[in-house]
Amino acid sequence: MTEFLSTNRFEPSIIGFLCHWCAYECADAVGRSRSQYPANLHIVRVMCSGRVAPHFIMNAFKEGADGVIVMGCPMDSCHYRSGNAQALKRMTLLRSLLPAFGIDTERLQFAWVGAGDTKEFIHRISSMVGALRALGPVGRRAVP
Amino acid sequence: MSARIGVYVCECGPNIKDALDISRVTEAASHVKGVVLAKTFPLLCAKEGRDLIKEDIHTGALTHVVLAACSPKEHEKTFQEALHDAGLNPYLLQMANIREQCAWICKDKKTATEKAISLVRAAVSRIVHHAPLVEEEIECQTDVLVLGAGVAGISAALTLAQSDRNVYLIEKSPCIGGHAALYEDLFPGGTCAACLLEPMLDEVLHHDQIDVLTLSEVTNVLGQWGHFSVQVRKKARFIDEDACIGCRTCIEACPSEAPNEFNQFMDNRKAVYIPYEGALPHVASIDKNACLYFRENACSACKAACPFEAIDFDQQDEARTFHVGAIVVAVGFSLFSPEELNGSASGTTKNIFTALEFERILNSNGPTAGNIQLPDGTLPQRIAFIHCVGSRSEKHHTHCSGICCPYLLKFALMAHHQLPDVAIEQIYTDFCLPGIESQKLLFQARKLPHFTPRQVTSAETLALSTKDHGIKISYNDSQNRPASIVVDMVVMGPAMVGAADAERLSEILHISRDKHRFFKKPDFLEPVSSTRKGIFIAGCCQEPQNVSQSIVQGQAAAGRILQHLVPGRMLPLTTTAAKVDENRCSGCKTCVDICEFGAIEYDNNAKQASVNKMLCQGCGTCAAACPSGAMTADHFTDNGIFSETIGLLEK
Repeated sequence: MTEFLSTNRFEPSIIGFLCHWCAYECADAVGRSRSQYPANLHIVRVMCSGRVAPHFIMNAFKEGADGVIVMGCPMDSCHYRSGNAQALKRMTLLRSLLPAFGIDTERLQFAWVGAGDTKEFIHRISSMVGALRALGPVGRRAVP
Repeated sequence: MSARIGVYVCECGPNIKDALDISRVTEAASHVKGVVLAKTFPLLCAKEGRDLIKEDIHTGALTHVVLAACSPKEHEKTFQEALHDAGLNPYLLQMANIREQCAWICKDKKTATEKAISLVRAAVSRIVHHAPLVEEEIECQTDVLVLGAGVAGISAALTLAQSDRNVYLIEKSPCIGGHAALYEDLFPGGTCAACLLEPMLDEVLHHDQIDVLTLSEVTNVLGQWGHFSVQVRKKARFIDEDACIGCRTCIEACPSEAPNEFNQFMDNRKAVYIPYEGALPHVASIDKNACLYFRENACSACKAACPFEAIDFDQQDEARTFHVGAIVVAVGFSLFSPEELNGSASGTTKNIFTALEFERILNSNGPTAGNIQLPDGTLPQRIAFIHCVGSRSEKHHTHCSGICCPYLLKFALMAHHQLPDVAIEQIYTDFCLPGIESQKLLFQARKLPHFTPRQVTSAETLALSTKDHGIKISYNDSQNRPASIVVDMVVMGPAMVGAADAERLSEILHISRDKHRFFKKPDFLEPVSSTRKGIFIAGCCQEPQNVSQSIVQGQAAAGRILQHLVPGRMLPLTTTAAKVDENRCSGCKTCVDICEFGAIEYDNNAKQASVNKMLCQGCGTCAAACPSGAMTADHFTDNGIFSETIGLLEK
């Protein structure tokens, strides 16, 4: 019965833009520790979260991502000094515009994790998957 | 020519092989457009694996290589080297991390396999957008300019010169040695400062490869790491440095006086002067502001007296330009001014001294020839040493200067040594005595017969007032109860702050400083780097530290420079840098403002931005900000990332 449920439940696709220094390293550390987290996260490595342009995110939604998460170094620990702060500014603005495109703001998340913040990483991905399961698939027609 | 992509799936021993269906991954990869070869191998990072890839590149004429294996953070470099060895550009590689992101995080084999297929597909879609990138290098200057001839600057200069680098040592005062040369004994062991410094100063002055410029300051800095052009103004000394032997005949003849900055203005010196006995270089200089010749053309007594014809009133300031590869900034510190504290005892300030003033009083070349006495010549009966003046305070400076506790205890020991009957009041909030030696100072002080440590809740509760012929110090004791003592001499340990001209320098050098005037480090992993590449910061100009730590930092800065600026060797430019499409750049300067590394240059005539690949760090933040799509980030292009995203989402 549980198997039946798990195979039929909605599995959201999440695109994660992870910075090379902290976030991607954190994802690697989660792997090394053999901790389990939902396979729904598909990672695109960038050098800095500041590289993530708004159109990367809109493009991901357009291509069918049910959620997008941008992960970078903790504030004040950016490998490039302030790329994460730039990302935060942009993502906050973009997030506020999402409803205009029929996209729930919950579908775009950001998280600032240090290379060792494995628990936080797993928590953020797991809870995002849970939230997206509840929201259901992204309404593709709504995306420009 | 269309892409011929080779995909290699690594078993990574049992790591990947046991966790997912590796043959399905390989099979799926072989069907993706552009893939001409898909293979599984037990351990690709091993020599056999790398050889396999190299051989296939040759025989199969592969144009791109995708590796489905571990994290690129682990083996991207390994495989880039393999590509390079096989004659393929190393940037025509993409790794799909199916170990950390599939095999190790997902117990369900089917799900792990499907995710792995998706990662490989994405890597293949992305890689066709990879461009071959060439690693570029430029020539560099190996000479170095050191700013500030205190212990930090001197150790940097010596370390560099001992490795055959030419060094220009720029010092704003007439002599070298900095603050440390003004001290008598150094903590923790009471080492004689002059004995320690003299050989260093002597070596600097006589080293063939060190050009010492006293009375000099930097006026402009152009260029970048490897190629700085530094303009220096050497002020006229009005003394021929080569002719003067420091005989002091001119000083005896001079009728004009001015406050002596080297004795913290506690006494006067002549208009023609040698800062202190033993100052190096041991030559006189003329203070233009105090000299009567320059005021009314009224006097040339020194000129008449000099037996060596060394006086030259016609000497002019000299502008010089140095071409160097790197700059070390070691301009030292200044002290928080206790006058900024509320309630300082006006009228009695003549019996209140800062630590630097007391150092001069203790110094045998100082205003009292090393005798502890009050300005009226009497001996003090009771001295208070006050810790944390203006430091560890949210009102003034939050930091702990770290060296005041050891030197204030050194003062207590030296005071007792000279005046065995003097009562010593040590007014402190906490003793900060880190390291393996400093604590011994407190043990020694506690054994003194007239030593009273008085703990106060905070130095901010202190108030000084005049009482009879003494100074009343009111404070809240450790239980926060009001208390007071009366002493006849007060010595304060004020917060150390950055050099007085740090503000001016940070503008000329384009390096950041904090509100305490200390130059900033980009992060703690680079303890001697400034915020500008190629400019290093050493000693107390970046953080309070003791003499020994300053020496370490000077040597560290020199080490960093020796590591990179090597005669005959080139400096690498960033390969995966940002790039401007000139046809699309609108000249809006968004990128210029956003770049943290000053890597974007703007041509005011052409109204266009361009990227300096020496300074660009390749973060791509500018590319994301560019409103006209003119800025791109090599190796992380929009098209590459779009294609990777599409590949990941393909069902």
